[in-house]
Amino acid sequence: MKIGVFICYCGENIGRTVDCAAVAQACASIPGVAVSVDYKYMCSDPGQNLIINAIREHRLDGVVVGSCSPHMHEKTFRKACSNAGLNPFMFEMANLREHCSWIHDDIAVGTAKSIDLVRIAVEKVKRNEPLTPIRVPVTKRALVIGGGISGIQAALDIAGAGFQVVLVEKEPSIGGHMSQLSETFPTLDCSQCILTPRMVEVYQHPNITLMSYSEVEKVEGFIGNFSVTIRRKARSVRADLCTGCGDCVQKCPIKKKAYSEFEEGLAFRPAMYVPFPQAVPNIPVIDRAVCTYYKTGKCQACVKACGRGAIDFEQQDEFVTEAVGAIVVATGYKLYTIDKKPDDSQYKGYGEYGYGVYKDVIDGLQFERLASASGPTGGEIRRPSDKAVPKKIVFIQCVGSRDESKGFSYCSKICCMYTAKHAMLYKHKVHEGEAYVFYMDIRSGGKGYEEFVRRAIEEDHVKYIRGRVSRIYEKDGKYIVRGEDTIAGMQVEIDADMVVLATAMVPQPESAVLAQKLGIAYDNHGYFVEVHPKLRPVECSTGGIFLAGACHSPRDIPESVSMASAAAAKALVLFGSDVLEREPVVAKVNESTCAGCFYCQKVCAYNAVERREIRDRAGNLRKVVAYVNEGLCQGCGTCNATCPSKSVELIGFTDEQLYAEIHALA
Amino acid sequence: MPSLQHVVKDLLASGAVEVVIGYEKAPGQNRTRPFFARTPEDADRLVFDFSALNNLAVYLTRQKRPAKGKIGIVAKGCDARAITMLMQEQQLTRDDVHVIGMECSGVTAEMGADLSKDTLAAKCVTCKVQTPPLADTLVEGPKDYERPDDRNGARMRELEAMTPEQRFAFWAGEFDRCVRCYACRQACPMCYCEQCVAEKNQPQWIETSATLRGNIAWNVIRAFHLGGRCVGCNECERACPADIPLGLLNRKLGMVAGQEFGYAAGMDASAPTLVGTWDKSDRQEYIK
Amino acid sequence: MKMPTSTWNPKIVAFVCNWCTYTGADLAGTSRLKQEPNARLIRVPCTGRIDPVFVIKAFESGADGVLISGCHPADCHYNTGNYHARRRWTLFHNLLDFVGIDSSRLHFSWVSASEGKKWVTVVDGVIDEIRARGPFERYQKANSEFALPPALFEAAAKEVQQHA
Repeated sequence: MKIGVFICYCGENIGRTVDCAAVAQACASIPGVAVSVDYKYMCSDPGQNLIINAIREHRLDGVVVGSCSPHMHEKTFRKACSNAGLNPFMFEMANLREHCSWIHDDIAVGTAKSIDLVRIAVEKVKRNEPLTPIRVPVTKRALVIGGGISGIQAALDIAGAGFQVVLVEKEPSIGGHMSQLSETFPTLDCSQCILTPRMVEVYQHPNITLMSYSEVEKVEGFIGNFSVTIRRKARSVRADLCTGCGDCVQKCPIKKKAYSEFEEGLAFRPAMYVPFPQAVPNIPVIDRAVCTYYKTGKCQACVKACGRGAIDFEQQDEFVTEAVGAIVVATGYKLYTIDKKPDDSQYKGYGEYGYGVYKDVIDGLQFERLASASGPTGGEIRRPSDKAVPKKIVFIQCVGSRDESKGFSYCSKICCMYTAKHAMLYKHKVHEGEAYVFYMDIRSGGKGYEEFVRRAIEEDHVKYIRGRVSRIYEKDGKYIVRGEDTIAGMQVEIDADMVVLATAMVPQPESAVLAQKLGIAYDNHGYFVEVHPKLRPVECSTGGIFLAGACHSPRDIPESVSMASAAAAKALVLFGSDVLEREPVVAKVNESTCAGCFYCQKVCAYNAVERREIRDRAGNLRKVVAYVNEGLCQGCGTCNATCPSKSVELIGFTDEQLYAEIHALA
Repeated sequence: MPSLQHVVKDLLASGAVEVVIGYEKAPGQNRTRPFFARTPEDADRLVFDFSALNNLAVYLTRQKRPAKGKIGIVAKGCDARAITMLMQEQQLTRDDVHVIGMECSGVTAEMGADLSKDTLAAKCVTCKVQTPPLADTLVEGPKDYERPDDRNGARMRELEAMTPEQRFAFWAGEFDRCVRCYACRQACPMCYCEQCVAEKNQPQWIETSATLRGNIAWNVIRAFHLGGRCVGCNECERACPADIPLGLLNRKLGMVAGQEFGYAAGMDASAPTLVGTWDKSDRQEYIK
Repeated sequence: MKMPTSTWNPKIVAFVCNWCTYTGADLAGTSRLKQEPNARLIRVPCTGRIDPVFVIKAFESGADGVLISGCHPADCHYNTGNYHARRRWTLFHNLLDFVGIDSSRLHFSWVSASEGKKWVTVVDGVIDEIRARGPFERYQKANSEFALPPALFEAAAKEVQQHA
């Protein structure tokens, strides 16, 4: 082999503590090195030309550049090799700057070490093989998981760019939590008024296939080529026949056996129901757990009411498989239910607040329903227990947030703002009422946010008390809220009529299961994790999967919408090309030595290892061996190290290459 | 209670299995040898007692299997664990074998001896699986035996008390005798690779010549590859012509598996393997 | 940089993952944090790629100490490579310790891309410790010092003579 070695001074950066000329001279005698030169700036145009000319002149079949970190200029030099007609993977870098000249003062030390580093790289490049980037076709269709505002936005953006979208929502209607909100901060515009047009747009969009009351069952494939199996849960109503007239819902006699999920348990809903009047799609669902027909076989009220014959008690869950190239995950959040029995008993919670015990200690979403004109009280603030208008109301922030011992370490971010909004809405509706807010800090970063909080305090006279509440108990029909005012330095007791807890945001409970299906990372809370927190905030480490909204971390509506549009843009970038090229650093199995123990499959985080049957000529099964799907393989090489017989090799970091690198030290 | 011969006769006569791997008396000797019973008449030749030393599970590995169809196998507790482990590693499905589990009261360390406290195999001293954890048919038998002091345990504690230099010297002395015959590998039911890492020559990670350096590499990597997989049958040590105490290395890793991960190999065919799985709370005090 | 306490300079091989520790070492360089010069880094994509045979080969190739370093748990670029690696290391380092290659020869660390300072502390600490232990001559000279024991050699020689 003929290897070229090119030593860079990086101006003074390397040259100051490494004798580059001496390094180049010493490296000339490494076996296989045909040319070894030094130059002031290898990455400059003349520097690159030096390499290109040397490749052509000496017919080099491997190049080593001793300069900076490969994270800096590996791409630059690979391209130079390529321009000279050399396969770009016949190139290695020796990091003489970050790992040598910048960290050592002694020129003799730096020079000797540099020679070592180049020798290691030369020994590796001798074992490199010409590689071609892996090309995979792109299916220009997207799946969006979750039909809240994030999912809606992402779906509309992708569909608007002219690509097909499948939108999967597990509830009977899209809309998510935003559809439950009364008004939104800091503008106090009606949530449903701004949301429902977008929901309808989704429904009517020719590029969007809406699958409500459906869940992702299985995900196979890889970037550009996913195959997703979706479970379409049985509604007991045929969507193709239903007109959404609502007669069946009216006639359903089971009115008070199930709490309405949409009303956060503040009202009942029938066994046959649509979650809320503006639901999209407006197709009812039978709750089989409470429906009389499913219990006794007797009731047929809905069947009689339906003029279209759309009721189908025998309907089964259906499975459909969709081919997509990109996936946007927008599964949103839930509220931490802190000891609201029987939920979430794994948390110590705030049992001392009587949540779930006292009817008038409610959470933020319940308050939204009380404040909503479409809610169970028609928008009047009335407490759940006796429907009385509360004259004194206490809001407690950071319930479960910022408190690792009782909930979560993180800040839920939206509570400061919605609590100010709640207090303001209360004061607007109950003019003579008193509103108190217990807070730890006010975090009101955002356009118009701080001004909004000031308005609550200054114009609506909401009383903010800095401190924690230690206990809430019932006394003479009042809820005694006992806490501390840390600014006044005294204990306070408020005899409230109602208490609203700003409970922490948590990911959907099934988020970890979904993450495992998708092969994406999630943190210890269950939030999905991005590749890079700064520079790649909406991409998952698994290619082709993007994140939007509160499934990633607590965030409000404008942030969720921006993130959704960003995720959509990332999907569209992917759809901008017909084929994808990726670095060919993937694992490959030697089928003749593979014994089929499948440890490689066990350690693969990407489900990239498949089983392949080896048969003899007569068709008899000889053995089952591992096979690496190079589209899925991300090139970590864990399989390579785990394989006891070394029957799987990571291209680009093969055993031979690493052996040579280690051996070069001897 | 059916006898071993009765069970095997039925299995072969009914065609439930193609062959039964068991032990027969070696002619004219006070020892047994592996025997493949293929006909109902063959069943009468089968024996089982304290001289049933071999771990017959080795014949279930793909390259040594005596039949294509279903195989019956006579298995002590340790053998049954090896069979289980082969299932955990997808070398065998549950339907491939009919395990005739033998309750066991210990075997001798060497072939040809009578069983006594002094001749008992070291592995039997601390054995907890007198009843095989995996069996389609269980042949009952005596399970109690007199156990001497755990000599190997004492030896391990001695080694652990040494300085690293002393331990290195001890093992250098042992490994130096290795002639690289690979009998340890041949005897091991878990060494079923079709190409051993020691035979991979591009690159040659493990030096093949029987020099100390290569011997250290071989013996360390052999033991490591059995980490979390070795069932403690100790056939490697019994097969070793140089009397290298390989069992101590295996036992050390078995202890690590137990202490660090609460793991014992080959106890449950549906259990995950130790390597190939992980837990967030895996201990890591040694990592800076 | 601390002055070497002796004239002998240990040879350290460090196997580091591309995404965390290699980048952390880059950061140490960018921050001009002076370090002892004895470590030679071998870059692999992930700690999951590091096979115990690398460690053995490093000692055979004259390393006096080996350092293995990668992303912190839960931060692995490949999601779980370091978790799988950690399990193997727990078995391997206990085994090596049992054969006399103790924890002063074989080191492990988690160093993230932002921990340039930690990288320097780890590397310098490892080098100090190995410098205090001295060269790993026992391993390096294994073949010459532990050549065929004299008794065996004589017996073999006698046998050859008889056949001659």
